[in-house]
Amino acid sequence: MTSIEAIGSRSRISATAAVRAYLVVCGIVLLLMMLLGLTMRLAQAQWIDVEPNLFYVIMTMHGAGMVGIAGLGGAAVMWHFVRRYIPVSTGIFIANLVFFLIGAVLILGAGFIGGFAGAWTFLYPLPDHSGGLWSANGAAAYMAGLLVIGVGFLLLHLDIARGIISVYGGLGSGLGVKQAFGFAPEKDGPPPAVAASTMAAISNIIGIVVGAVVLVLSLVNLYVPSFTFNTLVAKNLIYYFGHTFINVTIYMAVIAVYEILPVYTHRAWKTNRAFYLAWVLSTLMVLTVYPHHLLMDFAMPTWILVAGQIISWLSGLPVLLVTAFGTLTNVYRSGLKWDAAAGLVFIGVAGWAIGVIPAIADGTIPVNSVMHNTQWVPGHFHTYLLLGMMAMMLGFMTYLAGPKSPSRLAPLGVWLYLIGGTIFVLAFLAAGSASVPRRYAVHLPAWLPYDRAGSIGASLVVAGALILIVRFLVSLRSPIDATP
Amino acid sequence: MTRGLVLVVWGILWLVRTPLESDMALHMTVQLPLLIGIGYMLATFLRPHEPRWFARADWFGIPGLLLVVFATSFWMLPRMLDLALSDPWIDLIKFASLPLLAGLPLGLSWSRMPGLGRAFLWANFIPKLAAIGGLYLAAPTRLCAYYRLDQQTTAGAALIAVAVALGLSWSAVLFIGSPPFWSKGGENAVERMRGAASGGP
Amino acid sequence: MTRGFAPLLGLVLCVGVGALAWATEGFRVITSEGARQVSIARHPIPIPNVRLIDQDGHTFSFGDYHGRTIFVDFIYTRCPKLCGELGDDFRQALSRSDAKNGHVAFLSISFDRADDREALQLYADRYAARAPRWRVAMPYDARGLSMLLQTFGVTVIPDGMGGFVHDGTIYAVDESGRVARILDPGARIAAVPP
Repeated sequence: MTSIEAIGSRSRISATAAVRAYLVVCGIVLLLMMLLGLTMRLAQAQWIDVEPNLFYVIMTMHGAGMVGIAGLGGAAVMWHFVRRYIPVSTGIFIANLVFFLIGAVLILGAGFIGGFAGAWTFLYPLPDHSGGLWSANGAAAYMAGLLVIGVGFLLLHLDIARGIISVYGGLGSGLGVKQAFGFAPEKDGPPPAVAASTMAAISNIIGIVVGAVVLVLSLVNLYVPSFTFNTLVAKNLIYYFGHTFINVTIYMAVIAVYEILPVYTHRAWKTNRAFYLAWVLSTLMVLTVYPHHLLMDFAMPTWILVAGQIISWLSGLPVLLVTAFGTLTNVYRSGLKWDAAAGLVFIGVAGWAIGVIPAIADGTIPVNSVMHNTQWVPGHFHTYLLLGMMAMMLGFMTYLAGPKSPSRLAPLGVWLYLIGGTIFVLAFLAAGSASVPRRYAVHLPAWLPYDRAGSIGASLVVAGALILIVRFLVSLRSPIDATP
Repeated sequence: MTRGLVLVVWGILWLVRTPLESDMALHMTVQLPLLIGIGYMLATFLRPHEPRWFARADWFGIPGLLLVVFATSFWMLPRMLDLALSDPWIDLIKFASLPLLAGLPLGLSWSRMPGLGRAFLWANFIPKLAAIGGLYLAAPTRLCAYYRLDQQTTAGAALIAVAVALGLSWSAVLFIGSPPFWSKGGENAVERMRGAASGGP
Repeated sequence: MTRGFAPLLGLVLCVGVGALAWATEGFRVITSEGARQVSIARHPIPIPNVRLIDQDGHTFSFGDYHGRTIFVDFIYTRCPKLCGELGDDFRQALSRSDAKNGHVAFLSISFDRADDREALQLYADRYAARAPRWRVAMPYDARGLSMLLQTFGVTVIPDGMGGFVHDGTIYAVDESGRVARILDPGARIAAVPP
């Protein structure tokens, strides 16, 4: 082995170890947050007793924790695959994990010690108006935690952007803009992982710096209450950041589909002009879609809301269509041997595609004004995130665990996750269409059947995820394979 | 020659300080940046004479750039804008400290900061500039005793305009990149990728 | 990390945080108004013995108020809106404190050299201000005016339409004739219990 190869394999080992560390954190936090979610459903079902005050703390922690590990898991998928094509820094990747852990400690402390229960969106000026439920320090710890996590992600995406620019010259070329508009041959286009990482970098860099602004302003407001700012502007900034960040997680996780399915089908993922055009359009729309969170704010200028509605109908579609179509053509008659990893990745694409339906319903102004504060909305985003994004991430985890790990239980885990997840999101959607409100700790007797069905679904999901995550953790005993 | 020019500009700025400071927007978006620019230009001349202990202690440019952050924040406080107007001595301190404690360290330390750190600073500076502008634009009361509310609003809009211009130009540079996005040939991505990947970490 | 980094970083941090703490009075204020408020509360400022003339043409000075608290505002009689608000506030506060004690007096000082006794009289009549409980006054000369403006920390700038921009701030002068308190910007005394 020459010295260059030795350095290469050493860096590969440390990179794989870093990805494993990410997935360990993701797996453990995912399970804990799922248990918090299950607790909420059981409490609403009146099968267990949870103090309403604690319920809202749990809701806040569940929201922040899940958004955080969705970002972290997406980043792990993205970084693992994109480093095949561009130079990236392992140090920055690890730094992001360290920032995340520091932020997570601050957030958990804010919730379970400080009692912060202002929902993960920390909607200004709620953190400063706790009605005595939490202190200024509790709210500040929460927001400082988000800021610290944002610093890590900002560095990571900037580093990836730098890597993309060093290879492709600019982010435009990394996204495949030239191919999308026919200025360059399709075959010279960036690989799907690079196009997706470019989109994630562009969207998240902008989203995070906007989030940092509103976090800093809110923090100042906590300690100097006479310093105030426009609440509607604050809401716009918060949802700009919040929507972009959570939306981008699925565009990072989808890289798992582009990279893992071809391993099973032995067919390269086909990129063509439509593929690049889809990524360009979705980038533009992810950056402008957030107003659908403000459809109920009558003080918003109407044109923004109308644009928000139209863009939210369209925003996911381009990439979803090329990905779903690409998945089907990649899988069709490939002689693919299904296993847990391939199954989960496939479920992820299907969950994402199906999740569009409730999303479009909620993105429509007349529907939104009656549905947005019902459980329809958690139904919508759990379809996306649980059956789409997280399925892809668990697929990646299972794929990394490799075929050597005990896999007899893995298919059971996948089935439990799929069936439980379906029951769980259907319970939310059904409750939402029956006008059951979201974010209520205590439910009316008429709502209990939905809550109980949801609790059963959630229990199955937790069991399935537990199997898959434990299987991954057990697989860590085997040393890292240094061959690429 | 150029050195002299910088000193002349410094002097001229002092002479025209009354008209420039009479308007909040001119004060914040013309005078203060020009003073920082003077220090930045000084750095290009003084770099060969930079004390070795500073070059060594200024690890990755962190202390130097931190000094820039403090010095610029200090002179952007509404209270300091007021004091600079009411007291010529304070204004003199501003005329000395912005070039020497903000512009000069900026010029010396910026090149020591790795690319990722610079990108991080840009990415944080631009939206926060816009946020300060937004606060000035929306504030119902005057923050400076020496400026009218309409001047404050104009200053807010000017700061936002500067932030938008910086943001757009930075995005354009990153998006178009080098070689320029529209150039033809000589940019085989696969070749460049191999080159970068083998040279990379 | 290189040699000298930690001390340099520490130095920059100390100087930087120290300077910001000084400029913001310990991270409490960002405006000169706020700074003034904090410093007056800590160190009340004695008022120079400036001669003023009131709406009835009588001359007086701050020394004449010895033993009484005075609420002071700065106005000009052509003022289209803010001074009206201040005047209403003083009238309401006066009607409340009238019955309770004679320890409180009110004083509206014009900073407009174009104002004369007649203008003061008209302004006083508009709000039913009667000397000596509520004097509407102006300093005898320009030097007295600038001394008062400086002592109270009042900044007056032209509004570009022939009038002035000024803060509608109310000052409390204590029994021994010192500026002892600056009310919050926009705060009105009629709203708080006497």
